Amino acid sequence: MKRLPLPVLLLGLAGAAHAQQPAATVIAVPPLTSPDSGTKGNQMLAVGWDVTQAIEADLRQTTEVMPLKPNRDDYYSYPEVTAPSFSKWRSAGAKALVSGFVQGRADGRLTVGCYVYDIDKGRELARKGFIIGANDWRRAAHKCSGLAYTAITGAPGMFDTRIAYVAESGVGEARMRRIAVMDSDGYNHRYLIAGDAMVLTPRLAPKGSQLAYVSFAGGRPSVRVVDLGSGQERPLLSVDAISFAPRYSPDGGKIAYSMMLGANSDIYVAAAGGGAPQRLTTSPAIDTDPSFSPDGSKIVFESDRGGTQQLYVMNADGSGQRRISFGGSWYAAPGWSPDGQWIAFTRRGQDGRRIGLMKVDGTGEKLLTGGPGDEGPSWTASSREILFQRTGPDGRTGLFRVGLDGGEPRPLTTPQDGSDPDSSGVMD
Amino acid sequence: MRKTAIMFALLLGAGTAQAQLPGLRKRGPAQPTQPVLQGIDAQRADFAAQAGGTTVYYGAESVILGAPAKAALGLQAAWLRRHPDVVVRIEGYGDSLDTRDHALAAGAARAEEARNYLILLGVPSAQVSTTSWGKERSGLGRAVTVLVR
Repeated sequence: MKRLPLPVLLLGLAGAAHAQQPAATVIAVPPLTSPDSGTKGNQMLAVGWDVTQAIEADLRQTTEVMPLKPNRDDYYSYPEVTAPSFSKWRSAGAKALVSGFVQGRADGRLTVGCYVYDIDKGRELARKGFIIGANDWRRAAHKCSGLAYTAITGAPGMFDTRIAYVAESGVGEARMRRIAVMDSDGYNHRYLIAGDAMVLTPRLAPKGSQLAYVSFAGGRPSVRVVDLGSGQERPLLSVDAISFAPRYSPDGGKIAYSMMLGANSDIYVAAAGGGAPQRLTTSPAIDTDPSFSPDGSKIVFESDRGGTQQLYVMNADGSGQRRISFGGSWYAAPGWSPDGQWIAFTRRGQDGRRIGLMKVDGTGEKLLTGGPGDEGPSWTASSREILFQRTGPDGRTGLFRVGLDGGEPRPLTTPQDGSDPDSSGVMD
Repeated sequence: MRKTAIMFALLLGAGTAQAQLPGLRKRGPAQPTQPVLQGIDAQRADFAAQAGGTTVYYGAESVILGAPAKAALGLQAAWLRRHPDVVVRIEGYGDSLDTRDHALAAGAARAEEARNYLILLGVPSAQVSTTSWGKERSGLGRAVTVLVR
């Protein structure tokens, strides 16, 4: 895989976010050590320092965990990994500790071990070991960060996930759009689909291994599926119809989407690997933007069957359709949170388009962004943050992330203008 | 609109003096080398001139054809019935303030409403296809008839 390291995303703004979050758990991140000695030991310590810095950068992006700045000169011995001196970290102000080691293997790969401790209670919270390729240390760091984040917050981290989006360049009719995929920290950025056709709405499979998107190749928008490993791509459907708004089921086996039949847009579901579509809605209005509940049993979607765009929930077989949004505005593009608790949406009103969320029964509506050009919410794996697209007054688009407790949205840096962000679940 | 067609012809000018455009004919022999359009370009210019344009507009958030849109489609239908060998694609556009996927569906619905009206007026269904640009290209909510071949 080609590595194109971008400047690490979002730095600098995290401090302000933490200032609003006095409850952030301070975590110590001493340099990863190594049981190896001699030249090999020095190599492993060098890799360990890379991993340490990546863990710190990962955790610094969150609003719940605040890493202490690691110090390379503060050598951490191998025995300390399993027997930390809690009093030392307590006096440094830390409530938690993530430490670990890197060990070289005979086959050239590396073993990375991660340990997370509760310093106040002086006990271990979690530990995990990974065997990785020598160049894959960044993923090991994301796994360690996830281990620490989950041990502290109870939620999965978004560190070992992918983000897909539409990269935009050029102006007017000549504006070029390409599907781009990157790791959640901005590394391993690459463009997926070559060609002149316009593309929209990339949607990653839950494990980040596949991606469904909408292509205008052939003149009509239709859903296509691409395998991120092989680069192979194909149309989702064998019929020649306008199809769009794809979204994977939580097990990755199915894709729900919209399809036009005459002037009528309804929601269908088909096997992600191809197969006959099953129709889920039949209203003569525009039904679109389906999103599965995390257990796969329900689908939230948008319909203007009542005259304006509103949110509806139905069973995954199309039965039991009922409206859930009653806030007096227009609601679109719903997304069901991975923890099952929330529906994120784009609200359309006099104040433009804004991102908000409500509970799955439609109560507790809350707006997260000020608009007026915000749309396309996509949940991150933690269910604590939402990615979205913001269109500026000059018509240029950018990607942003916002926490559930509000606060200023923070930009995701991309090489070009970006739209339609989508975050995968945690990768295997 | 006729003037537009002529300017179009001047810009793209190709070939010899087989002037078919009604606007050109009146200029007489004083301009024997007036460039003209041929093939699909000539037909596109003629269609736009005869039908008074290629675009019909919709009210915001509406997929319903208003009276001006129906009148314009009536002229388009008359031309298409006279040219049964020509195939057109109607491209629908959503509203710029809409959300992406709803705009895509609205654009497709607008194109389909226009197509259905052409068919109602006697244009064979095989002569007309549809697509949608959603809100991906700027401008008002509309349906544009494009001659494909």
